[in-house]
Amino acid sequence: MDALVSAGLEDFLAAAPRPQRFVMGLLLALARRPRGAALLARMPLAEQAAQATLALGRYDAPAVARPLGWDAAAVVARGRELRRTEGRP
Amino acid sequence: MTDVLEADFCVIGAGAGGAVTAAELAEAGARVVVLEQGPSHDADEFSARPPEMLARLYRDGGQTVTLGAPPILLPLGRGVGGTTLVNSGTCFRTPSHVLERWAEEFGLELDETSLRRCFERVERSLSVAEVTPELAGANAAVARRGAERLGWSHGYLRRNARGCVGSGVCVFGCPTSAKQHTGITYIPRALAAGARLFTGADAREILVRGGRARGVLARMPSGRTLEVRAPTVIVACGTVHTPLLLRRSRLPDDSAQRGRNLALHPATAAFALMDEPVDMARGVPQSFYVDEFAGEGIMFEGVAGPPAYAAMSLPLTGEAHARAMADYRRLAQFGLMVSDESRGRVGTLAGRPVIRYSLCERDLAKFRHGLARLEELFLAAGARQVHLPLPAGVRPADATARDLKLMAFHPLGTARAHARAGHGVVDGQLAHHGLSGVYVADGSVVPSALGVNPQLTIMALATRLAFHLLGTSVPDRAMDPHVPDTQPDDEEATCRS
Repeated sequence: MDALVSAGLEDFLAAAPRPQRFVMGLLLALARRPRGAALLARMPLAEQAAQATLALGRYDAPAVARPLGWDAAAVVARGRELRRTEGRP
Repeated sequence: MTDVLEADFCVIGAGAGGAVTAAELAEAGARVVVLEQGPSHDADEFSARPPEMLARLYRDGGQTVTLGAPPILLPLGRGVGGTTLVNSGTCFRTPSHVLERWAEEFGLELDETSLRRCFERVERSLSVAEVTPELAGANAAVARRGAERLGWSHGYLRRNARGCVGSGVCVFGCPTSAKQHTGITYIPRALAAGARLFTGADAREILVRGGRARGVLARMPSGRTLEVRAPTVIVACGTVHTPLLLRRSRLPDDSAQRGRNLALHPATAAFALMDEPVDMARGVPQSFYVDEFAGEGIMFEGVAGPPAYAAMSLPLTGEAHARAMADYRRLAQFGLMVSDESRGRVGTLAGRPVIRYSLCERDLAKFRHGLARLEELFLAAGARQVHLPLPAGVRPADATARDLKLMAFHPLGTARAHARAGHGVVDGQLAHHGLSGVYVADGSVVPSALGVNPQLTIMALATRLAFHLLGTSVPDRAMDPHVPDTQPDDEEATCRS
């Protein structure tokens, strides 16, 4: 797995309703190739959807998010500690 | 194979409406069965990672989309807690002008004292309190600065949170369990009082015999069927799925309103590049509002999240997107929500919900006006650059519906309440007009857009319904043995930075 793409992206794509999953798979395949991306550029709505999905995966990767000041693991660890020490559910 | 259970009440859905109704009924001594289609979620599984949490906590991975112009993303929670598990926690009482409209237009005369008690009861149960400026974070400070310079009405939001530390991921599962969603408040109360909860229970049909409801048939994950025999059924599947269950069960619909009248509160958001560090995910994402234009149906509310969330919603592509994200720490974001007059409808295709909704001209005008004002707000706050959710080169005044990039979080109205049977699916007591023993307790009964976040309205109506079913009045604060004794007005007790 590419360290610059979140593994959670696959879960996200798999959770979509079947028709959307198929369409998004197609759009992402286009967006990842130069000629496909050029084709997508002519369809703003489709391009936006594909780019937004790719961005969701890319910026979720810890290697990308941490330099931007976001450490999900630290947020979760703090939550666990608070729940443990304060008896929260 | 069918398993059979007997109960006084069968509640379908464990979200804002179902959980509240179940707890109130169970605590009064009734035998209650709750059927929840989704799973129970454990805070230990919350990873603060948007893609993973969207897949796990949301119906269809948060990718439910309406058909129409424009298509609108409609994320809905799934599981114990429903959408209260994944909302921002904002709590507004139903505005008085909305209640007046309900009385005039829908014949819904809601007793003011009784409703006030319902709101108080819910607010105490959920520890509702105003966010402190410290906890609100720098993203809210940007909006506040802009609003103050422009002289616009604004304030800090009230939320259902206890011991919040501003993790910044309310909509992806609160990792500190600070947000008081119904899965950790009302449902545990219901269970402690003897209610039985079944998760993964797909309610297929309301059973009808002798002209009234007799129970519910549900498909269980094991493949077995569960029949809950109960004289009273409370449907709380949410605005999208409630009308579908009513239709599947072949309940009469003389009003022809079932599945219609869908309001959504369509929303969008803009970003701004500031000089100062913002770190939008530090603090409460939805902590501040600007209601200067609420009278026109336009509300600004805070919205923010981790880089993945921001990157997904940033209205740029290619190099421009990468450049803006490189400055993520100085990006501020604020949302715009419209109290809609457009109406959609919910149907099915091949067994799946199909949601049709197109923005009417009046709502489009609200977005045009609202986006221009949102840009003004950011510029007044000192923004270097504002990224509006419009295609490059399109100004707010020229935007068409298809130019807008919209999301919606508050579906309402598809089983609307109306005093007259020919005009609504349920009456003022939320009883189904066409069949005895069926009640509805979710956003689908709300007959019009509210202009504010609806969770408190839904919970107050559910509380009112529960006491109606019990045949008692809603207790005053002082006579409230079940509701936890929190201090809702004490900010320090509920929030800390």
